[in-house]
Amino acid sequence: MATRAVAENTAVPALAPERQVAWPKRTKARLSNGLEVILVESHTIPKFHGDLYFRSGNAAAIERGPGLAEMTASVVRTGTAKRASRQIEEDLRRIGADLASSAGADTSAISFAGLSEFAEPLLGMVDELAREASFPESEFERERRQKLEEVKLSRTEPGFLASESLRKVLFGAHPYAQVSPSEDQVAAYKREELIGVYRDFYTPENGLLLLVGDFQPDAMLKSIEKVFGAWRGKKPQASVYPAPANPRGRRVYLVHLPGAVQTQILAGCHAITRKNPDWVKLGLTNSLYGGAFNSRLVMNIREDKGYTYSPRSGVNPLRQHGFFSVSAAVRNDVVAASLTEIFYEMDKLRSVPVPEAELADAQNYLSGVFSMGLATQNGLLGQIAVVALNELAEDYLETYRQKVRALTPADLLETSRKYLDSANMQMVVVGDRTQIESQAALFGDLEVFDAHGKRLD
Amino acid sequence: MKRLQIAMESTALANGLKVVIAPDTTAPVVTVGVYYKIGFRLEPRGRSGFAHLFEHMMFQGSANAPKMQHIKLINSSGGVLNGSTHYDITNYYEAVPSSALERVLWLEADRMRALKVDDENLRNQRDVVKEEVRVNVLNQPYGGFPWLDLPPVAFRNWANSHNFYGDFTDLDAADLADVFAFFKTYYVPNNAVLLMLGDVKPEEGFALAKKLFADIPAGAPPPFADPTEPEQNEERRGEVEEKFGTLPAMAIGYVVPKRRTADWCAMALLDQALHGGRAGKLYRELVLEEQIAVELDGGIEDIFGYNGPTQMVTRILHKQEYTSATTLAAFDGVIRDLQENGITEDELAQLKVKWESDYFSLLESGHGGMPRYGLMHLLACFTLFDGEPQLVNTILEGFLGVKREEIQAAARKYLRNEKRAIVFRRPATSRAKEAA
Repeated sequence: MATRAVAENTAVPALAPERQVAWPKRTKARLSNGLEVILVESHTIPKFHGDLYFRSGNAAAIERGPGLAEMTASVVRTGTAKRASRQIEEDLRRIGADLASSAGADTSAISFAGLSEFAEPLLGMVDELAREASFPESEFERERRQKLEEVKLSRTEPGFLASESLRKVLFGAHPYAQVSPSEDQVAAYKREELIGVYRDFYTPENGLLLLVGDFQPDAMLKSIEKVFGAWRGKKPQASVYPAPANPRGRRVYLVHLPGAVQTQILAGCHAITRKNPDWVKLGLTNSLYGGAFNSRLVMNIREDKGYTYSPRSGVNPLRQHGFFSVSAAVRNDVVAASLTEIFYEMDKLRSVPVPEAELADAQNYLSGVFSMGLATQNGLLGQIAVVALNELAEDYLETYRQKVRALTPADLLETSRKYLDSANMQMVVVGDRTQIESQAALFGDLEVFDAHGKRLD
Repeated sequence: MKRLQIAMESTALANGLKVVIAPDTTAPVVTVGVYYKIGFRLEPRGRSGFAHLFEHMMFQGSANAPKMQHIKLINSSGGVLNGSTHYDITNYYEAVPSSALERVLWLEADRMRALKVDDENLRNQRDVVKEEVRVNVLNQPYGGFPWLDLPPVAFRNWANSHNFYGDFTDLDAADLADVFAFFKTYYVPNNAVLLMLGDVKPEEGFALAKKLFADIPAGAPPPFADPTEPEQNEERRGEVEEKFGTLPAMAIGYVVPKRRTADWCAMALLDQALHGGRAGKLYRELVLEEQIAVELDGGIEDIFGYNGPTQMVTRILHKQEYTSATTLAAFDGVIRDLQENGITEDELAQLKVKWESDYFSLLESGHGGMPRYGLMHLLACFTLFDGEPQLVNTILEGFLGVKREEIQAAARKYLRNEKRAIVFRRPATSRAKEAA
């Protein structure tokens, strides 16, 4: 048995009555230009944290060029009609601010944090970057060259290679299949393409401004209207892509990294988005399986067998499709043994109802951890963003714990059968083929690739 | 500027355990930490990596909470937990709903009182630690660069220069007798501080601390080997092969003046001038202007959290078409400019605003979902190193009072070639090419 029973210990202090969790009020507004705004007070430090999101990212730019939204975001901060790159960085430092511009699959974002007393100049900078970025030719060239080196470098990282392969296998022709551009694709980026993405994506109608921190919402809203009010721009047309085919049967993709002294395992299958009514059920199932320190998989392959340092499972919610995955970096000689346990714990959850006591523990864990975000500005910002970006119910934060508590062993059995798709798991193993190929081949049809995705015999 | 005043109270129990409580009712969550004043700097010779391996053992069972129960009891109370080993301290911490405060304190007291582990636990965690070293160092491009590469080149005292993650032969040599000896020597209440932050009333927290920890006997004051370094009077250089990465890299480290001196404050602002993000002089020059480097970052790591010799380190990955000599010359150009011209009043004003803003963020910074890790860390280190947790509210003043001339003077005094060490990471692939 992997999970050893622990005798009830009467010396352990009982839990005191739980204190009420009160989520702070969200002040919501929509400016006349369409920009959606959500403000939350949090006076823990004399600062505030914010994100200006645009609801379009690399997936929406895929036909213009993979990774183009991310490249656009990198260049956005390097110059505006009013300020050169150096001026931007010094002006941010002058007001004690941090700022980052980035893009993921579904969004582009300008994220920032600064001192409350300098809120207006920082918002002014964000507005300027969102409206008047000038994409200086020399800055673009440098950032592109920089990106080229980053792309090359990432091909030497086992974790990156594993996630790149898994996404390719799970999403096929869908834009979610590509997590990073190739060197050739980066080399082909044109400044005009970036400007096109910027013009289409960075608009108030496509935007969502979130602020959490030490301010009075009414006064802050007035500042926001003053700063962002004159901005104009339409929502871009959304592209629709057919759902990706769901891969059937177990298959193994070995990425050969000569000389690797460890093997990165990553296995996954299609799952759900955050909007799906099963989200909370799958979240709880995942925390029992491999989503917590105390989970079955961690107790099994780390605390019992010592195969790995950081095994984890997770549900990855992209906006249109989600996927479930489990990962572990393991000793080369226990690749087969680790995969065996990964499937053992999955199949067990699919066939035997979770004992009531273990379920209660997992429910406590998930509902307790959910409230941690309340304690800091950044934590709160993250949770507000999840609700707003995924268009979840208004009372999502307030009712989440209740939903977790209501689940039964039967719910979890059903959820495991539905989403921990053991028979159709796609497995990626990144390591030295001479040490792991025969072990990996035991688990399904196996193909071998090099770090650039080229198939090897 | 708005001042921050962290509310806190502190005391010490009869057995020497210090207790610090910082109440804040923003959320019904409490963060608990226990810091022991022992880190990898002073682990036993012939046992490199032992302080960290031992940290793992503290999760393997205590008298009333056998293996797996410690983790299970905290997770199932709705909380998260972890521990980490540093140069001069090792910490254990949990964030839980405040309803679980007594339970968490009970668990910390149980393992402070009586660690209970066996050979099987040690074998298991030795395996886990080896995979940790592989995933973070041996199987990663630029793994351990430069935090494991620089010390053997920079320092002469074994305490500062050995492999902190541990040679595998040393890890294999560690046995249960080592575990219990280390526990008995360093894990005594008079060598620790207990912290509670968040939703806890000080009088209740102190009462619980007394109830649960007061009967743990004090130990002999732990021996501390002297970590002092002989004066450095020559530039030191070393080389390490990079097995996976394709870009050449280098790290340059300068000795940092003694902590809590005027020079130390000046050095911290100098660090901000050099490494403060994209506005920092080094990033601007080497990445943005000359475009020699692909990655550049650095600084005085964890400036409040060490208590011995340390360095201000710059980490650079540069393009293959530039030689190490060219890259280093560009770096030296930035340093020389600072020494000759110093910084402007306007720049100094910017640096101070940013420093103060960063300090506030540091207090609130989390750690794997653990709120207020930063504040806990500062309170603990100021208690163990200085006996003054209140420093958290006053330490900023020294930095905000630094003058322009002091920055230039610090650049001239400390950023000297004979006070630095350089490690080059050379990609195996490019070397093979050069040889061909």
